[in-house]
Amino acid sequence: MSEQQKLRRTIHAYDFAIYEMVLYLDTHPLDKKALEKLRHYKLKRAAAIEQYEARFGPYVVTAKDAHNEQRWTWVDNPWPWENEANC
Amino acid sequence: MWQYTKKLQYPVNIKNPNPKYAQIIISQYGGPDGELGASMRYLTQRYSMPYAEVKGLLTDIGTEELAHLEMVCAMVYQLTKNLSEKEIVASGFDKYFVDHTAGVYPIAASGLPWRAEYIQAKGDIITDLHEDLAAEQKARTTYDNLLRLIDDPDVRDPLKFLRQREIVHYQRFGEALGITTDKLNSKNFYACNPSFDKNCGKK
Repeated sequence: MSEQQKLRRTIHAYDFAIYEMVLYLDTHPLDKKALEKLRHYKLKRAAAIEQYEARFGPYVVTAKDAHNEQRWTWVDNPWPWENEANC
Repeated sequence: MWQYTKKLQYPVNIKNPNPKYAQIIISQYGGPDGELGASMRYLTQRYSMPYAEVKGLLTDIGTEELAHLEMVCAMVYQLTKNLSEKEIVASGFDKYFVDHTAGVYPIAASGLPWRAEYIQAKGDIITDLHEDLAAEQKARTTYDNLLRLIDDPDVRDPLKFLRQREIVHYQRFGEALGITTDKLNSKNFYACNPSFDKNCGKK
């Protein structure tokens, strides 16, 4: 696995941790420890994205992140269901 | 509204196509306890929910189920890539192939197309949450059955992830049921539908 792929995996792991906290908080909206944990993962994710972008360029996961100076890059392969997006 | 995120929730990278596996895994897309039904069930039930936490939970789990059906479809897609006519016939995939080629269409392993009868929106929070708890367990059993039949680690890995998510969702729905029964006040110990039956059966 390349450095770029490893860093993407790290960001995805934080995405998952954040999602898990979201579901937990839905049924525990007053849990201060969980709110703190959510903030922690969000900061970690932001730092990982910063590190990614400094080395490999924009981290594009939504259409509004896609850079479009020369052309519309959102449509670029691979799409998530393709092996190339998951190796 | 929804915004698409261009990544799978958990990676799917299957190196060896296997149309036999595809034909059973597709049930977790369009089968009776599959992810399409899960997503439609929760996103549909939201509207009649009386409590904020449960509206939030159904929205967020219903959204995650969309990510799960995308993972299941990615598995079916990768398992049916580059097949020869010979492999299609030998694996029994020909019966699917004749109608859908290698397109990913929501059916059960038995071949029955997805139907809205797999889900319910009863408009009663107690009833709907019990359906949701049962649905998570039915999906977990289906993943267990798939894991009994499948050896390839590339295929087992995402299936194991999806199985774990059923367990987490079951836990969260259990908590939602707890929140709900806490909110039913002492005059409603028969658990009348709080979103409709305000007087609990009395005119």
